[in-house]
Amino acid sequence: MNAAVRKGRHTGSFLPEITSNHNKMRKSTQHGWRKQQQEQLLPPGSGLEKSAEGLSKAEISLFRNSLKQNICVELLQQGFHRSFSELFFLLGSDQQRIAAEEPGSAGLPLEQQWDKLETLRRHLSRAEQAENTCSWTVVCDQRLFLAQFFSSPEDVWLRLHFYHSCADRERGGRSRPATEARACLAEVYLQLGDLQAARQQADLCLQQAEDRDWLDSSDLPLRLRALRALSSIYSRLADAPLEAEDYSEALRLLHRGHSIATEAEDKKLEFEALLRLGLAYQSAGDHATAKQIFNTCMKICGTLQDAEGLGKSYKAMTKSIESEGNTQDTLECLEKLVDISRENGLPRNLADAFLCLGNIYFTMRQYSRACEFFLQGYQVSCELGDVPLLQKAQVLVGTAQARSLIRKFGADVESSSPAALQRLVSWKETRGRKDVSANAWH
Amino acid sequence: MEASHHVLGTSSKIISLASARGTEKLCELCQGIAHLQCIKCRVTFYCGAEHQQADWVGIHERICEVLVSIRSPTLLSLQEAGCIQRQLKKVELIEVCRLVALSKLSEGKHQEALPAAQFCMRCSIDVHGPRSVQMVPAYLLLAEANMGMGNLARAAELLSQAEWAALKSSEHAVHQRLHRCLGHLHTATGNLEAALFNFANDIYFASEEYGLGSTVTHGGYFLMANVYAKLGEMPIVRSLYYEVAKTWHYQLSNFLETHIQNVQSPERELETCYDKAQRVEVDDMLRTMLEFEQNDFRKDSAQIALVAHCLAMLWFLAGDSLKALGFGNTALQASQLIPNHDLTEPIQGLLQLLLTAR
Repeated sequence: MNAAVRKGRHTGSFLPEITSNHNKMRKSTQHGWRKQQQEQLLPPGSGLEKSAEGLSKAEISLFRNSLKQNICVELLQQGFHRSFSELFFLLGSDQQRIAAEEPGSAGLPLEQQWDKLETLRRHLSRAEQAENTCSWTVVCDQRLFLAQFFSSPEDVWLRLHFYHSCADRERGGRSRPATEARACLAEVYLQLGDLQAARQQADLCLQQAEDRDWLDSSDLPLRLRALRALSSIYSRLADAPLEAEDYSEALRLLHRGHSIATEAEDKKLEFEALLRLGLAYQSAGDHATAKQIFNTCMKICGTLQDAEGLGKSYKAMTKSIESEGNTQDTLECLEKLVDISRENGLPRNLADAFLCLGNIYFTMRQYSRACEFFLQGYQVSCELGDVPLLQKAQVLVGTAQARSLIRKFGADVESSSPAALQRLVSWKETRGRKDVSANAWH
Repeated sequence: MEASHHVLGTSSKIISLASARGTEKLCELCQGIAHLQCIKCRVTFYCGAEHQQADWVGIHERICEVLVSIRSPTLLSLQEAGCIQRQLKKVELIEVCRLVALSKLSEGKHQEALPAAQFCMRCSIDVHGPRSVQMVPAYLLLAEANMGMGNLARAAELLSQAEWAALKSSEHAVHQRLHRCLGHLHTATGNLEAALFNFANDIYFASEEYGLGSTVTHGGYFLMANVYAKLGEMPIVRSLYYEVAKTWHYQLSNFLETHIQNVQSPERELETCYDKAQRVEVDDMLRTMLEFEQNDFRKDSAQIALVAHCLAMLWFLAGDSLKALGFGNTALQASQLIPNHDLTEPIQGLLQLLLTAR
């Protein structure tokens, strides 16, 4: 078949055979878009050596040549040479990327995905057209569109390329789309864990969006978006010093994150920043400050009606009170946590609260009460289906049960009253057959 | 008399008794009945003095001696080893002819390039057969020579033969050269759409083979820009010329730097980076761009400075300080029109070099 096409390029006599091939090809999936391409490539009357049968050299080359070649040639033919070199460069780096990765893990090469190539062609050429007429904002718009088009995880390098090519432009780099690209870059870098780059981009975005009421593509003010990103970045930046127990640095960063969150007028964000700040104070051992912060957290959650947040706050609060050794307050706090969790259907918090309560009674040597709470914790974790938590609860139930049994056994042995002896004897006789949990003293 | 003989070679009448019977001698160039033979090798024949002289200037001077060993039948040549040796010599000859034809073509001497191109083709057919991939360069050379002389029909015919042969090849370089020639042909015949199509393919294959930033690719850009100029698309021409000038500026600046570092052996350095033919081509290209900018209504000083600086560096490297000075001054004037232009300093540096060298 190929040979027939080849010959067809030179002599008319072979052409009838080509048209029959041409019809066969109509069935192939690629044909649709190629047909469309031909129409784009050859507006009626452009007359590229049309032969009598209606196939020109350019049309034949659409079938013969690779997708990459066709798209590159089309761009060049329309005068978009900068788009061509950018596309060619991207395809080259895609090949290098695939070669560097293990075979099979890199997915389909870009040059085989015609929808992506076609989108690239269309928007790159629009951007170049705008560049030629000095409409810089349109250039940035097109590049932003391309960046957002490549949303799948394996295309993150393309996303970064287009965000950067939009944001880092000499001309148009301070426009609205370029500023949005900076906000997106900050978020992408945050996701990738490159916190320094993320902070740089978020700072730049904030500078550019200052005193303007620009909205992003989903009608969110760009300034707020930048502030949000920046606040999360500072929280994440504090992770390293926290781990290294450098509390002053961590607190400095977290305070920064909190003040940015306040500026962003986003209560949810403010709550998260505050909670992290409180937890940091807690790790640093400053429980008084931590408690104050957790109180504020609870207030915020109250206005937000955020039960989950409230649960988190109470949990954190309990830990601080407990560390101070105030058992009564701790118990009150935990009971509140139990109520909140139960009312709002937060089984994980509930299970945690029960286990905490159990622990406190256990340390107070009130083993049977401890056992009760552990048992409740165990039931909730059964409902949750969380196996590690469930196993932990089982162990705790067992330990508390054993402690309370030993205490009663010891008391009976010491008192040696007839009733006590009777209980001991009956327990001895039934012990082998009975389940441990069936308590003879109850 | 002696001198002119030396330049044009010498010939004598064919002594028919000295050759084997029944073999008609044909002219090297036109395949007509021959009456003369080269007195040096005695194995090359001509219909008349005119063709003998044309062949001498075109290629024969370079290959006269080699032809003796190929064309005169010896006992050895009948054996297998001799055959292989002759084949190898022919391959060498093809390469020599190709280079000669290429350099004559780039100097614009199309008529003179014809004998070399023709011999290259004949020899290639001998070695590889008429439809092999290796024929493509020979077809292209001959087509280019014909195009230069205005024989467009013959050129078109040769190019379609080349296209046919190139179908079997998957080498980017082969396709690149083919498309460039086709682009030239369509430009000459005025089929500008087809010319754009071919130059676009040329640029694509050049990028695959030599890279996006190579001078070959940018040669394609330049040719494409000329087609756009004919179509009246001036913004595209301007931006294409800008790309080409930028690449050459980068290239020449690098050459200049290595040149300055190796002042002790400037001649040798120059030989390795440029031959004369290439220089002629680059000079031609840069001059076209300079002229375009100077005649353009926008008179983009930055671009004028860039191109003129390129030309100044080119001629400085070629050792022609007069031309270099002229272009250098043009570049300086243009760059001084722009405040704090980053080219002003290198241009002044080059002029300084030129003045101290004098």
